[in-house]
Amino acid sequence: MHQVIQAVILGLLIGGVYALMASGLTLVFGIMRVINVAQGALVILAAYLSYALFSHAHVDPFLSVLIVTPAMFVLGVLVQIVFVRSLRGDDAEELSLLVTWALALGIEGVLSVIFKTTYRATSPSYADKTLTVFGYQVQFVRLMAFVGSAALLLVLSLLLTRTKFGRAVRATVQNPTAATLLGVDANRVQTLSFGLGVSMAAAAGAVYGVIYPFNPGSHYDLISRLLSIVVLGGLGSLGGAVVAALVMGVTEAVVAVEWQPTWASFSYFIVLIVVLLIRPQGIFGVRERAL
Amino acid sequence: MTRNGLLRGGAFVAAGIAFPLLFNAAWLVNIGILTLMYAALAVSWNLFSGFTGYITLGQVAFFGLGAYSLGITFEHFGIGSGYNPFYVLPIVGACVAFASLPVAWIALRTRAMTFAIVTLTLLFIVQQLAFNLHSLTHGSSGLMLPTPTTFGVDNYDRPFYYAMLGLVLLALLICWGILRSKLGLMLLSIREDEEKARGLGIRVTGTKLVAWWLHVFVTAMVGGVWAYYLTFIYPESSVDPLVMIGAVLMTFLGGRGTLWGPVVGALVLVPAQQYMLIHLGGSQLYLVGYAAVFMVVLLVLPRGIIPSIRDGVVRTRERQRTRGGAAKAAV
Amino acid sequence: MSRTPARLAAVAAAGTLVAVAATAATAGATRAGAGPIKIGISLSLSGDFSDSGKAAQRGYKLWAKVANSHGGVLGRKVQLVIQDDTSSPTQAQTNYQNFITKDKVDLVFGPFSTLLTAPSAAVANRYGYAFIEPAGGGPAVFQEKLHNVFFTQPAPVLQSADVFVKFLSSLPKSQRPKTAAYPSLDDPFSSPIADQVRALLQKKGVKTVYKTIYPSETTDMGPVIQKAASKHPDAIIGGTQNGDAYAQVKAMVQQKFSPKFVFLTNGPNDPAEFPSKVGAKNVNGIFSTGDWFPQEKSFGNAAFVKAYVKAYGGSSATIDPSSAEAFAAGQLVQEVAAKTKSIDNKTVISTLHKGTWKTVEGNLRWNSIGEPQGSDLLMEWIGGKLYPVYPKALALHKPLVPKPGWGSK
Repeated sequence: MHQVIQAVILGLLIGGVYALMASGLTLVFGIMRVINVAQGALVILAAYLSYALFSHAHVDPFLSVLIVTPAMFVLGVLVQIVFVRSLRGDDAEELSLLVTWALALGIEGVLSVIFKTTYRATSPSYADKTLTVFGYQVQFVRLMAFVGSAALLLVLSLLLTRTKFGRAVRATVQNPTAATLLGVDANRVQTLSFGLGVSMAAAAGAVYGVIYPFNPGSHYDLISRLLSIVVLGGLGSLGGAVVAALVMGVTEAVVAVEWQPTWASFSYFIVLIVVLLIRPQGIFGVRERAL
Repeated sequence: MTRNGLLRGGAFVAAGIAFPLLFNAAWLVNIGILTLMYAALAVSWNLFSGFTGYITLGQVAFFGLGAYSLGITFEHFGIGSGYNPFYVLPIVGACVAFASLPVAWIALRTRAMTFAIVTLTLLFIVQQLAFNLHSLTHGSSGLMLPTPTTFGVDNYDRPFYYAMLGLVLLALLICWGILRSKLGLMLLSIREDEEKARGLGIRVTGTKLVAWWLHVFVTAMVGGVWAYYLTFIYPESSVDPLVMIGAVLMTFLGGRGTLWGPVVGALVLVPAQQYMLIHLGGSQLYLVGYAAVFMVVLLVLPRGIIPSIRDGVVRTRERQRTRGGAAKAAV
Repeated sequence: MSRTPARLAAVAAAGTLVAVAATAATAGATRAGAGPIKIGISLSLSGDFSDSGKAAQRGYKLWAKVANSHGGVLGRKVQLVIQDDTSSPTQAQTNYQNFITKDKVDLVFGPFSTLLTAPSAAVANRYGYAFIEPAGGGPAVFQEKLHNVFFTQPAPVLQSADVFVKFLSSLPKSQRPKTAAYPSLDDPFSSPIADQVRALLQKKGVKTVYKTIYPSETTDMGPVIQKAASKHPDAIIGGTQNGDAYAQVKAMVQQKFSPKFVFLTNGPNDPAEFPSKVGAKNVNGIFSTGDWFPQEKSFGNAAFVKAYVKAYGGSSATIDPSSAEAFAAGQLVQEVAAKTKSIDNKTVISTLHKGTWKTVEGNLRWNSIGEPQGSDLLMEWIGGKLYPVYPKALALHKPLVPKPGWGSK
């Protein structure tokens, strides 16, 4: 039992970080019906940026979030303008899937030229610190990562509910045509939200590098997890993504400890298939209209 | 149109059969095999995604399943080497296709983007199974298939070449048949408007599943031939996202939803890729270059070569006709 | 010494014979292909295996440079035809097809990784080419039972940790472990080695208290080590690669679990990376294996290390063993050429199957399917440095047993 609870704690902490990455993905989908397959590669890119800042300029990885996130926001805006916005036609959505996949390959290629393919890890002095709470072990960096992710998610939801920009975003999600008629600049909202989605990946990525070793190819594993999280939660649903990320974290951690680590991520895919069998639109999703 | 189609088909078959006889250097036949392999994958991807409008990113999972099924059949049923494994292939393909139906049924309950993502996770599911079902697949250590000893040395590659060619032709025939059948009309109406198609009394799910079955059937056989040719498979190489991207890229380049588009795409891209690898290889920019080509195709030529040419031809003809008409009117 | 006409005639005759033989040899070489000796090598210069692939490339290129500065092989310059395989077995196989049937190279050397070597060796075998390969030592390569394969490391990968078992058996009974846990990576070069060690140790009465295999994307070793620690084993024996080995040690340190023996097949054998990843104070007493180390007194090793540092910079500690393995492949060709005056593939194959051959990787000999018949080295961290400690003949330091606690010298 002790082990199970320990695993649940671990799973929740990890799930929090995944929730942050997935939030960007699901937000972008909700607004422009674009799946950003490069989200995983962007997370890894941010992890490398933070790694480089740490190893060359001794910037603390948690502080580097403040540098990496704005930089990646700009990158996200550029990507949206150059690659995504230029897609036209009735199958622009499907094309965006492939364009962002190509973008992911490009990022992987560039990273492996610059940083080689050996695994890296950002290891600040406190990387190995462990707290013991009621006999359960909690790694300091994971707790920090979880708290940071939760804080950012809170900021994001405040941004969406309390600001003018947030209202414009929500209006666009609900009814793009009506939003435009009400004077919302759809292009601007889309570009900024894409940048926002990428920033979420960036913030999570800077932290990811402290918890996990990574190499340029790590994005495949990441994106498969992120995509299944947003599908399980329901495409476009922010709350759904958070819940699904936590479900994934806990499922994997418990299966790894109680059964076999090799079946951990498989077990999560099974959860996904079963949920889709009952609710094709995901836990909190709205049924997609036929296209 | 039909006469032209027959001519085109006949020319392709003749050129395909003649190629290894005219150019019998093994390295050329080898590149021929790779080209046909991608052509077969692209045509069968198009067979499902091009005709239904549902983008699947999981096709290569069934390529891997086909490869492993043939490998496991070798190990447990002793199907011998030589030509025998080729005769077993249709059974392997059919079994994989039937086994994929329940998953397809669940996946097809979702729409558009969700469907694409669910099929993408199939890649990872099959790869994990290949890793974890150790007693069947030998996991990460990989599975060795026997090397055929009866094919000789000089023309060793030929049987594999003709097997791949056969699969391309099979896939093309299926597409051709679909295009001029009721099934094709039903698929077209699903692609245009699924709800309306359902309203018209078309059994939407059943129709999509037929197309799905056919595309997996061909894909799995391609995987089998590839595994037999390479003699050694392992999880990452049999379910490789880059192969998936390759097939999709070729279809987009040639033209989605057309009969010959995927073949044209493969004929252009595979040799080009080999050429670039030899002449630009070692510059480490291979992956970046690949991504750049993909991006350019999607952004500049999203409809593909064949539809663009067809439009071009139609436009020129129309221009000539109008000009001719104008000239007449002037007279 | 008296100079009689008869003796002079004899000397002259002998001299003529040598000259004729030399001409014949040159003629033979010319027939085989004038100009440089072309050697085709497919390497992973991009993709998953690219770091090791590039290390192998440095070794190959260094060998060609050194050989050419000494006049080449059989008086012909060595020219390497290196082609990227993007870490894909399909492309590796295509590359070897191209080398042999298009470029018509004289020889081929192996790629990096067992996963690419296995399908490539079959191509070389079909065309009767010798396949001297530095990095394909996994069971899949030898499973094909090919006569043309020569693996240029002292022992097949599967047996690479047998040296640890031999070392344990050499200890007095009271010092040997009684129980062991085996957390291993799902990888062709990791968990099979741990399985092999486990089978051997079980025969010697070491109880297996825990065994698990984790997938390669597992980056958190906390739960695995926690479970292993809860069984209180005397020894942790892990089949590992680099990243997971670092993670295992970190998890043990975090959980303050310090068994008497820690043996990890890979990871700790990287003298530059390991201390920086787990902390210099946590390395002592950890065992690993290696096929090569910079101070080894093997054939040509001192010169190799010197030439390497001169060509690529760094220090002897930063040389990847993959470079030495690749260099050894070239040495073999030179030795065969010196002995037989030929680099014909048939000759290379039949010659290498006889006798023992000196390389930077030690003295190598093979059975009929290319499995080397030697033993790897047992390495241990002592006083913050990595030493070979067993077998005794090659040891540079006395082994340290049992492992001191974490954070102690």
